[in-house]
Amino acid sequence: MKINFIKTFSLILVTGMILLTAGCGEGREKDDSDDTKKERKSRVDLLGAGASFPAPLITAMADEYRDVTRNRVVVNYQSIGSGGGIRQFVEQTIMFGMTEAFLSDEIMADIESQTGGRAFNMPITLADVVATYNVPGVDKGIVFDADVLVDIYMERITNWNDPKIEKLNPDKDLPSLPITVVHRSDGSGTTNIWTSYFSRVSDEWKAKIGYGTSVNWPTGVGGNGNEGVAGAVMNTPGAIGYNSLTYALLNDMSFGYVKNSSGNIIEPSYAATTEAANIDLPEDTRVLFTNTPAEKGYPIAGFAWMLVYENLEQNNAINNRTEAKELVEFLIWSITDGQELSEELGFARLPEAAVERNYEMIKQVKWRGEEIGKELLKKKNIS
Amino acid sequence: MIKPKKTLKQRNIKDRFMVSLLVLSTVVVLVPLLIIIAYVIINGVSALNWEFFTEELGSPSRAMQGRPTGLIHTMIGTAVVDFLALIISIPVGLGAGIMLSEYPDHKLNPYLRIINDTLNGMPAILKGLLAFALIVKPMGTFSGLSGGFALAFVMIPIIARSTESALMSIPWTIREAGLAIGLPRWRVVMSTIVPAAKTGLVTGFLIAFARAAGEAAPLMFTSFGNNYFPRHWTGMIFGPVDTLPQRLYSLAISPYKEWHAMGWAAGIVLLFFVIAIFFTARLLTRKKVY
Repeated sequence: MKINFIKTFSLILVTGMILLTAGCGEGREKDDSDDTKKERKSRVDLLGAGASFPAPLITAMADEYRDVTRNRVVVNYQSIGSGGGIRQFVEQTIMFGMTEAFLSDEIMADIESQTGGRAFNMPITLADVVATYNVPGVDKGIVFDADVLVDIYMERITNWNDPKIEKLNPDKDLPSLPITVVHRSDGSGTTNIWTSYFSRVSDEWKAKIGYGTSVNWPTGVGGNGNEGVAGAVMNTPGAIGYNSLTYALLNDMSFGYVKNSSGNIIEPSYAATTEAANIDLPEDTRVLFTNTPAEKGYPIAGFAWMLVYENLEQNNAINNRTEAKELVEFLIWSITDGQELSEELGFARLPEAAVERNYEMIKQVKWRGEEIGKELLKKKNIS
Repeated sequence: MIKPKKTLKQRNIKDRFMVSLLVLSTVVVLVPLLIIIAYVIINGVSALNWEFFTEELGSPSRAMQGRPTGLIHTMIGTAVVDFLALIISIPVGLGAGIMLSEYPDHKLNPYLRIINDTLNGMPAILKGLLAFALIVKPMGTFSGLSGGFALAFVMIPIIARSTESALMSIPWTIREAGLAIGLPRWRVVMSTIVPAAKTGLVTGFLIAFARAAGEAAPLMFTSFGNNYFPRHWTGMIFGPVDTLPQRLYSLAISPYKEWHAMGWAAGIVLLFFVIAIFFTARLLTRKKVY
């Protein structure tokens, strides 16, 4: 009897062991054929997490980078939201974070006092937010301007045939339909960009509500994530919400054009987003360029930043110099060769000015005082 | 002659009526289960192909452009994390269960029982946070090990409870018999009570295991997820690793149709994983030796 009991467990144990070794064995065997021993020793897993919006780009970069490095470096990126990205970056459980809302001055100061170095916000790609709606009989291209959008979100315009909307859309046949406002219920970089646009164009919004990854909405229903907002919009005739452009395109949602600060009506596009970022950037690139002064720029757009510590050895998640070096190399690759993937995946290319700023920051990245960022840039003939 | 109030026929009718009520309630219990299984299979079967079992996930563009993508790393990861959880929780849960049942007058027992019940009722996500604070933070990285601990926190109270009730079902006379031939108390427990309660114990382990195998919340900030196999096999234990419930969740909330289908397919795999566990359990415990 006792023996049987033990048998039961050893069976479970052995099954587990077999599964374990089978899984690991497979990965190893596959690599044996084309990897040299030396390369296998320097194989590295990089771990990043954060904003969901740039996830398709970063993971596609990871796929590509794995091929480029011949299976040596694998970048594992998990999309947990901008808020989560910042949080785990501060907790030092990930090697790099991604966020659509740059680090606040408080967090920057905290990190500086804790690690003796700065945290860098490096723009990797651009995020654009479009007004998505469900107006029966009307396809994409309802024109909005700043006042109309703010009025809708402050419940001052409550019907689609409001004269203010009709004035901007003389050629559209807008029905008499009450407007349902939809917003994000979770903390989100998309909300940050959307509300920062409202704050820039309306003093009243700035004073009463302000901007951030989540705000105290005056009206509307909440949806969790891009998909939650999209679901609510698509199922509610008369609804208006906001989604990233890529998301709206992927899901065939109708979205509006927006009149920018120069008075031009801009159709959201990757080119118009890149154009919007074509402004004077501060050194640390911590800037919001919603309501951009750029003439052809789409006004509701922002950067998605990669978060990296200046002193990499201070980040608990990075264990050795190899990992630090590979992280910086991936970073350099992602703002240069990696950008080639952008358009195909529905992302706006990083403007030249932002790439230049990134180089300046990478130069300051260190491992135990060794300026590995500078060395790696030099190796790639970028100075 | 007094006419009986109820004829035999009437009694039979009543009996059949009651039985049919029981059958009905069984059906009511089974139907949702069958609907779930059918629904998951109908939605997920289109994404089940050879590559699903041989490739790693990678980026969503792989699925959208029809390049090979799959969840092999997720399936192996699930097996590793669940196995870790099992070997962590069985000794602890078994110990606590033996303590509760075999040493009922031990002065720590009331507290143990309260703590165990509290742990059982605690939301699973808090167990994940506990593992995050105890293991992820000090180690500086998400890991399969921390995921195993988080799931073990889910399993321990269930195992302790089921162990206790399995051991209690063994008559006291057996213990007395053991003591009467001069065995020490621990030997009585290990050599007679535990083997006799084998079926109940293993069933308990597997119920706990199946419950933990479906948990996504405790794994979000412990095993964290991975789009690939780790570069080295130790990465399965000491690095972030993918698990089916959590990957299912992230596939389901993604904006891509192809990933939704893969999410359903992951559901099928998870379902059959759990069913296979129960089936194995039945096979292992069917033969009664005593």
